[in-house]
Amino acid sequence: MRLTLPRLLLVIAFLIVILVEFRTVLGFFDIAVPFTTAVIVGVVVIGALVLWSLLSSGEGSNE
Amino acid sequence: MRIHTYEKLWLVAALVLIVGFIATITYGSVGLGISMIDDSEETLSPDEINDDERFGEPRVEQVGENEYEAYVVAQTFIFQPDPIEVPANSRVTFYVTSRDVIHGFAVVGTNTNTMVIPGEVSTLTVEFDEPDEYGIVCNEYCGDFHHTMEGQLTVVPEAEFDMTELEAEADDEVELGDETTVTATVENGALNDLETTATFEIGDQTVEEDVTVAGQDTEELAFTVDSTELGEGDHDWTVTVDDHEESGTLTVVEDLEGEDETGADTDGANGTDEDAEAGDTDA
Amino acid sequence: MRNTFVDAYPDQARFIRRVFATSFTAFAVGAFFGLIQALHRTDILRVVESPTYYTVLTGHGVFLVLSFTIFFLVGVYQWAVTDSLERRPVDMRFTWGWYGLMVLGTLLAAFAILAGFVESIDVSANTLFTFYAPLQGHPIFYVGLVLFVVGTWLAGADWFRSWLAWKGEHPGERIPLPTFMVLTTMIMWYISSIGVAVAILAFILPWSLGIVDSINPTLTRTLFWYFGHPVVYFWLLPAYLLWYILLPKLSGGRLFSDPLARVVFILFILLSTPVGIHHQYLDPGIAEGFKFIVMTNTMFLLLPSFLTAFTVVASMEHGARQRGGTGYVGWLRALPWREPAFTGMALAGLVFAFGGFTGIVNAGMNINYLVHNSLWVPGHIHTQVGTASALTFMAGSYWLVPQLTGNRLVGRSIGLVQVLLWFIGIVFMTNSMYRGGLVGIPRRTAEPQYEGFQYEVAAGSVGELNAQLAIGGILLFISAMLFLALMLLTLFNRDSEPVDNRTIPAPLSGPEDSPAVLDNLKLWAAIAAVLVLLAYTIPLASIVTRGGLFGPDIGPFPVTIEGSGSIELVRMGLEFALETVSR
Repeated sequence: MRLTLPRLLLVIAFLIVILVEFRTVLGFFDIAVPFTTAVIVGVVVIGALVLWSLLSSGEGSNE
Repeated sequence: MRIHTYEKLWLVAALVLIVGFIATITYGSVGLGISMIDDSEETLSPDEINDDERFGEPRVEQVGENEYEAYVVAQTFIFQPDPIEVPANSRVTFYVTSRDVIHGFAVVGTNTNTMVIPGEVSTLTVEFDEPDEYGIVCNEYCGDFHHTMEGQLTVVPEAEFDMTELEAEADDEVELGDETTVTATVENGALNDLETTATFEIGDQTVEEDVTVAGQDTEELAFTVDSTELGEGDHDWTVTVDDHEESGTLTVVEDLEGEDETGADTDGANGTDEDAEAGDTDA
Repeated sequence: MRNTFVDAYPDQARFIRRVFATSFTAFAVGAFFGLIQALHRTDILRVVESPTYYTVLTGHGVFLVLSFTIFFLVGVYQWAVTDSLERRPVDMRFTWGWYGLMVLGTLLAAFAILAGFVESIDVSANTLFTFYAPLQGHPIFYVGLVLFVVGTWLAGADWFRSWLAWKGEHPGERIPLPTFMVLTTMIMWYISSIGVAVAILAFILPWSLGIVDSINPTLTRTLFWYFGHPVVYFWLLPAYLLWYILLPKLSGGRLFSDPLARVVFILFILLSTPVGIHHQYLDPGIAEGFKFIVMTNTMFLLLPSFLTAFTVVASMEHGARQRGGTGYVGWLRALPWREPAFTGMALAGLVFAFGGFTGIVNAGMNINYLVHNSLWVPGHIHTQVGTASALTFMAGSYWLVPQLTGNRLVGRSIGLVQVLLWFIGIVFMTNSMYRGGLVGIPRRTAEPQYEGFQYEVAAGSVGELNAQLAIGGILLFISAMLFLALMLLTLFNRDSEPVDNRTIPAPLSGPEDSPAVLDNLKLWAAIAAVLVLLAYTIPLASIVTRGGLFGPDIGPFPVTIEGSGSIELVRMGLEFALETVSR
């Protein structure tokens, strides 16, 4: 794994939080991001991160 | 005391920021004319509300060109008056007091918001530019059914706003051959004189009368009805002033012996009312 | 050799374990009530009738912000005083005594609140934790609150006694920093809790017993808020203590500056009380000038928090560099993120900084009109006491409870998941609350769905805000339960290795760098008292002149059942107690 499990969890938590707050900030500038879009973006980004973390290092067992 | 250089910088920056906040808020209050709810009003004990000139009858009153005052009473779990109706392009001062516990008075989605404390009168002045409809909520917990406490504020177009009130009184029955009078009271709540025409219709007769009601005054109009012309039977009547209409039915009888019967009817109706009230109290 | 707190002071550890158990019990009940509320007000699941919602809400408030936080505070402070003075209390019976009084007070108040669920008991106190008169709860509720507060006063007296005894043994020495923090907090608490004590003892309790007929609601409300703002610092300062004392150690370093920490706590003594009227910006009967004064005072209260932000981050950076971190931001990677104790506190601090800015909005007297009593306000309180304090307490427990039990923490990585869940949950929930508040959704209501109008949500919809709030609430509840489970498992863990040792490394810049006047507690208390008199004498005099001491004939509005025999009973009991005392 590229990231240790605790770090991966931490980064995911931050991503979710940033997503929620960023959407609010966009709302203040009259850019409405629909709920489903936000959920899809979240799932895609977090999924990509998890895949990257699991796969890219190759061996994947030095947690 | 030894303070690290970065600490000093941070301290100074923090102080600058704080002073900046104070300056911004001061400008935002004084400069933009947003004043605080204050102690400018005399206290008003809840048990004096009913006898109070302003709150005895909660209402909207005109006090100047485009200037209005709204006297609002909050109590568990309603606001009076409801709805509150004001014209667009006006400046309205709300006077709000409470009959029982602490309430809130918030016009949803706006910054019109105040606490309502029994014994005190909150005042806040608001400008309404456009016609709109707002909800009013009590935003301070006031008891079991706090969540049902809501009211409405309607800002109507200037042209549609009127403060005229019409009441009409008439006998229910008249003996054939007698004359009776329908009395209409036109109240003008606005400051300017009201010049209009009152129309009285009964059967196929129509009477029109021009009337001028001085600002914040009332006029009484009397329409005389000759029962002979109507003949025996029920006759619907209406009084119309601008958009206001009052109506009733006049029964012309041969002689007035049916009086007792009518009386009994009325009693019956009252009886039902009382029953309903008693039911409420029990619940 | 193992050197934990329980090895050094077994009886103290036992006492603090008991205190924490009380705190966490209150936390469990309060968290469960919170879940009911999150689902009820969003109309997702309503397990109680809406009028009962207010019983739940009162319990949520009292159990979390009074019982959970303050029991945790006395536990942490007992640890801090014992550990830093390296001595036991002068008389342990007294210590158990004040704890007993606090528990008794809590039980009485809890009985009055929870009896609201049971119709056959004519007792209830659906007044919410602010108990604004003329809403009236059962007298037992107020008696409980008073006993609880008196218990905390005696706790403070106990710590002062320990300090005085220590001072006799160590003449001329500086007060150790943790004890300094405890003592300054308690000075602030004594000054501020007088307000609520007077409100209850002089006005609300006699009135609820029927001894006086009437009340001045503005007066009792003002006295409540005289106490109501400093009490938030009473919840926060134990978190500050953990950030200053424990967080630098957990980061792998030491505190950056002891003098600045002292200055911060002194600023809290001075400034936290003369600001309470900022909760009353929209109250009639208080002149605009007083509101302006408290607004400026409130802004200056930002200063100690700004200073804390600096010291805490600097200490973390120092720790990270000790652990081999490099670069301008690269050192962040060297922090011990896998430790829930560290991560929880760091996240709590982050959320606190964000919440601080929402607090500035509340304190801005002009913008406050927009958010006052809207859902924005519980958004703010949940980021501050609900995270800055609560999450720090939970994170702190991951280090403290092994110290108190001598048992290794069970499930460290689950602990990490727990603090991260809290972080995500709180952001979901409070983000929805802030946005809902801005469109005018009120706080403190069972059903914020009205018939006569619709909220105009700028981006999204009310349904989506509700969903977000409910998801946040559920995550927070799961997180709370995980925490409690880990605490229970750790308590019964047979495994005693490895447990960190109890020593706290000395600060980089020690007390010798600060003038001794900082330790002159009498001086700071006196200045604070003068500031309070300046800020409150005229407003209180004006309120009494306007409405009278006992109000313009305002009768009670019981949210308890009327004509109750149990009120008579409490009254007789109190009279008997008073007679016994006066003999």
